[in-house]
Amino acid sequence: MKLSDVLDITRQEPHCGLCKIDFLDTGVCSAGKKHGFVAYWPEGRMELARALAEHEVEPTETLLDIVNSCNLCGICDRQCTFITQRRPTKAQHALQDYVKTLQPGSLKRFPEDDILRDLRTIVGNDRATNDPVIIASYLRSIIKQKSTGKYYIVMPKTTEEIVEIVKLANKYKIPYLPRGNGTFFGVALQTLLAEPATIEQGIIIDLWRMKDLDIDPESITATIGPGVTSFELQKAAHAHKLRANVAEAESCVCANAQNLGIVTTWSNTYGWGTDNFIDAEYIDSTGTIQHLSDQEIPNPYASEQGLLSLSLIPSVIVTKLTLKLHRILDDEEAVFVPFATLADALDFAHNLAKRNIGISLAVISRKYLTEFISPTHEVAEDFNFIAEKYLKLNYVVDVICDSHSKKIVEELADVSFGHGMIKSLILGSSKLASMKDSSLLKMISEEENPLKAVFGGPMRKHFEKGLAAQPKDLVKVYDEDLREFFEKLYSRPELTDPIWLHSFRILPCRMERKHMWMYRGGYMPGDTQTILKVVDALEKPAEKYGINGAFGFLSYLERGKLAHLEYDYYYDHTDPEARKRVNKAIVESWRRQFAIKGVTPLEFICSKGLHRKEHILYPFLPGLSEEELEHFEDLIETLFGGEDTW
Amino acid sequence: MVKYLSQEWAEQAKKKVLTELDKAKDLKNMNASLLNVIQNVPPDNATMYYYIKFIGGNLEELLTGSDEAIKQKEAEFTVTGDYTTFVQISSGQMSSAMALLKNRVKMAGNKMKALTITKPIDTFNACISRLQTEY
Repeated sequence: MKLSDVLDITRQEPHCGLCKIDFLDTGVCSAGKKHGFVAYWPEGRMELARALAEHEVEPTETLLDIVNSCNLCGICDRQCTFITQRRPTKAQHALQDYVKTLQPGSLKRFPEDDILRDLRTIVGNDRATNDPVIIASYLRSIIKQKSTGKYYIVMPKTTEEIVEIVKLANKYKIPYLPRGNGTFFGVALQTLLAEPATIEQGIIIDLWRMKDLDIDPESITATIGPGVTSFELQKAAHAHKLRANVAEAESCVCANAQNLGIVTTWSNTYGWGTDNFIDAEYIDSTGTIQHLSDQEIPNPYASEQGLLSLSLIPSVIVTKLTLKLHRILDDEEAVFVPFATLADALDFAHNLAKRNIGISLAVISRKYLTEFISPTHEVAEDFNFIAEKYLKLNYVVDVICDSHSKKIVEELADVSFGHGMIKSLILGSSKLASMKDSSLLKMISEEENPLKAVFGGPMRKHFEKGLAAQPKDLVKVYDEDLREFFEKLYSRPELTDPIWLHSFRILPCRMERKHMWMYRGGYMPGDTQTILKVVDALEKPAEKYGINGAFGFLSYLERGKLAHLEYDYYYDHTDPEARKRVNKAIVESWRRQFAIKGVTPLEFICSKGLHRKEHILYPFLPGLSEEELEHFEDLIETLFGGEDTW
Repeated sequence: MVKYLSQEWAEQAKKKVLTELDKAKDLKNMNASLLNVIQNVPPDNATMYYYIKFIGGNLEELLTGSDEAIKQKEAEFTVTGDYTTFVQISSGQMSSAMALLKNRVKMAGNKMKALTITKPIDTFNACISRLQTEY
């Protein structure tokens, strides 16, 4: 198999980084675990195979080591099929065949230089490199594609080692940039944000080894290192019947906290940003260790708002974070209220938010619901079609709450469903997708209120019966050799448990199965009218530039006073024309959002997650005037050049 | 070839801007004063200052040095950063706005006004980047 034969899958590599986490209880790649550098993980092998195929890197002796380190155990195929429908072992086979074509002895070791020697003195020989083959595996996830800069990758284990690395970078006058799991970079680097989010040369500090994790059940807190992922923290917290307010499973908690303050569906109850953080240890640009709790540091909450507060590179490296955990109640239940229109869903959810009903409370779209719970993108597409055309199921108010609140939600809602229906939809999703032309669905669509008919009326029994499926039925959509594994997997209760799925967040990366996405939206007043204006401000540019845009989810803060919206632009990041169009849509969506009072686009929250939201979101910014918006366009042109250069 | 941040460089840079840039078209008739605080200047990691003042798009002052007198100049904006970053800005490798975004420099001053001078300052930096300079 040639490298060019697998370009379709390697180009699509989204760098979600889930292969580094044992989220399916399969264990993780043994080579990755041993060596650490991204090149040894499935994610990195895919990128490396692409970079070699596209002649962006020349092979070195290290390539042999990387290729030989894989035992083709197949763990990555299970993990990656579950999330992105790709099989990394295909890239590994292509790499093995490629290596066979190289002349024996033709590969050379890449020479060490002074900077690398110094880095190795700090972290050890195996934990620092300047080898282009290893560096190539970081392309498109922290290094810009086709970057010609001189890079080093270093994997420290302790805070003190990072101090030495920062001082070394300052001594040699080169920039440095920390990398958690690369998930934010994986998305941003496909857009015009690539330049401000990356460094053009210098030291990449890969924090993967820094996995200290300590739960204190008495104070209900956790103290973690920067390599700890959301999944790992949640798993440790759950062992004590506690819950962490964390982002998607694969994201490193410290990096996510610092960058975005951790955006979740639990924010109306658990809060955002410093609502959850007790203390942080961080290293400043001089290599000095500081703590948020130090009395003599400058005000750590000082923050700026508005257009010129955009900064995608954090000024400090967080090396330890102490954060609050939350008790899991014995009677938590999930309840879902379906809606045909966004306005109705928002009104209903806002009403709950104002009354503090729901520990987790969100409005999720048909797109998210169908994509997250379907085993393949194709099933999701059909499910999406059925939900829209027959069921009028376009939005769902998604609530996790105690049994008392559940009764209130059910009383307020015309129709609702719970755990049982979600389980049926997950296990029956491929069966449902095959019912596109069924008479049952046509009959439902002819009802006056199809949502009520299917989720609340007499047809519910027929619908559930029609869906009735077992894991063995669902897994027919997978490659034959993986079906046994997936049958066992889907037989586990947590895979169909909405509360577990909301806590562990292993499904969102399924958004990346077909195409890359770009996160749009941000923070805004929680009233329905403002939110609809923002949705329109995001929808219009997508339509104008031919981008597939879709509402993702919305959650609340402060009893519904504020809301966070995620709206996504889906596009083919391997197509340069599509990238240009998405960049134009991004710029226009900023312009439109800034014209709405009180709206802070997500990018303008970046690097401010350790700050108090009160300093970032208040006072509500007035919408920019036409004159200010013209200056904004000048700024964009200064930063990114004219439209044609994007 | 002139040495970056030397008196000779300051004189030639000023002359180049005055002769090559149009006050209205290129510099948007801006009224602004800006003090750059350049840290870790080789060879002994000293701090230097680089001050510019525009009135109606006319470059009234362009001063460089390590004198306290420059530091004391009244400036609407103060931009602080490392020598290597200022080299990138003055040589046209990176715009000052991008340096701000990348957290390579810190700026103090009215952010809304800063927005209005982003483009003319970028044009100014592009002009002086064409000066044969030894960094």
